[in-house]
Amino acid sequence: MKGEFTPKIVGFLCNWCSYAGADLAGTSKLKMPPSVSSIRVMCSGRVDPVLVATAFLRGADGVLVAGCHPGDCHYEKGNYYARRRFAILKKVMETLGLESERLRLSWVSASEGPRFQEVITEFTEKIKKLGPNPVKEKTSL
Amino acid sequence: MSAPKSTTTGLKKRENAILDLLKKGLERKCFDTVLIPVKVPAGDSYVWVLAQDNSLLDDASPLPPVMPVHGAKAISSVMRRGKGRKRIATVMRPCEISATIELSKLGQVELDNVFLISIDCPGVLPLSDYLENPKKGGDAFEKVFKQWGNGSVRPICQVCHRFSMPTGASDIHIGMLEAGERDIFIISNSPKGEAILKELDISPKKEIGSWKDKVKEITEERKNKRKNLQEELKPGVVGLDRLLDTFSKCINCHNCMRVCPVCYCRQCYFDSDKLKHPYEDYLFRAEMSGGLRFLPDTLLFHLGRMAHMSLSCVSCGSCEDACPLKIPVSQIFGLVADETQKLFDYIPGRKTDEPVPMATYKEEELKEVED
Repeated sequence: MKGEFTPKIVGFLCNWCSYAGADLAGTSKLKMPPSVSSIRVMCSGRVDPVLVATAFLRGADGVLVAGCHPGDCHYEKGNYYARRRFAILKKVMETLGLESERLRLSWVSASEGPRFQEVITEFTEKIKKLGPNPVKEKTSL
Repeated sequence: MSAPKSTTTGLKKRENAILDLLKKGLERKCFDTVLIPVKVPAGDSYVWVLAQDNSLLDDASPLPPVMPVHGAKAISSVMRRGKGRKRIATVMRPCEISATIELSKLGQVELDNVFLISIDCPGVLPLSDYLENPKKGGDAFEKVFKQWGNGSVRPICQVCHRFSMPTGASDIHIGMLEAGERDIFIISNSPKGEAILKELDISPKKEIGSWKDKVKEITEERKNKRKNLQEELKPGVVGLDRLLDTFSKCINCHNCMRVCPVCYCRQCYFDSDKLKHPYEDYLFRAEMSGGLRFLPDTLLFHLGRMAHMSLSCVSCGSCEDACPLKIPVSQIFGLVADETQKLFDYIPGRKTDEPVPMATYKEEELKEVED
């Protein structure tokens, strides 16, 4: 609909779980808002905080990092590291008064199509309430 | 005495006592060389020198008024291509020792053949203040030493609560508070330190209660001061607009990163081609927001550094000293670092066998960041 704000969300999805989960949600024809641009990474542990910060500072309204559930990582412990990195960036942004609620970390397994649908729907709704990312209007980044 | 005319001050007396210790160590071959700040011949700054013979030590200054190069940076440069067999003893300020420990965890320094001697530190003068008039700076530092930190040391030093190492990771600690006019407390912090003191026929002082109490007292005082400084800082830097204003002066020289002792990457992501984008990309970004600052990605650089390195930040203040635009980088870093370090109950440089938080994990933790 014209005039309505559709958030742009960048999703870093791990190859083994969340990307497959997203795929399953798609092939199952589950209805989701068309808000996510997904980037497939080999492991959520590969998602350097700088990548998340880059997406945020380039105007993504939300950034999602999704990986295998703790204990289920294809590389055994990548998602544990991912969680630490994510927590650090979130804390940095929170301390500096940047909208850290625009970041989300979720675990979605390859068989959880409906879970992926739920995560996307929920996150999109939340971002809709927050409105567009204010960095979009800033020229001095 | 190298300068017979000058009267020996309280500070110089203590420095000489430390140098005597080092000279004795060299003579008795407890170690082969000493890494220590030495006044440059022109007399207007200090540099780290790997001093092999005793005569060089005459011009050395274990407690110089400024910190042009961070000690951890110096020692990691010695070991950039790996360690060797010769043993180095080095006298450093607590923030330098802590950063050295961090670097050892990050594989940049090997501590096997290094003796770390920490020292009570009253702070250092801002480099730019000192360089304006080194003679005056030297006098100002005498006062700083007497009053144990005052308004002339760097803002981050004024609120430093880790200015001593009562239980630190150094091998030997030199206590100076409450040590009397000409004395120093020599305290062994490790078995390695104990062994050296034995070889030097020095029995560690037992009656250090007064020193410990004083350290504790100042630590508490500084912790409060640090909180207050951060509260004063916040209104100016917190929030997207404030933060952009703060860093809008930044000229992207990356000095803060280059002088940072714990920023150890040999190729920084922010200097790499990864951040050199195609023409169209920049024009697209300009179009999206109505304009684009050049050089771009300033905030990304600072946020990225905080996300990467704040856990190992020892609040040494080198970044702020090196900033030509006088952005309070180390105060902002300190504010963020206190929070990120709290997440993992981590104190950089506290122990040698404690991994940096980014290199480890717990299975059950941080549930609050998951959704």
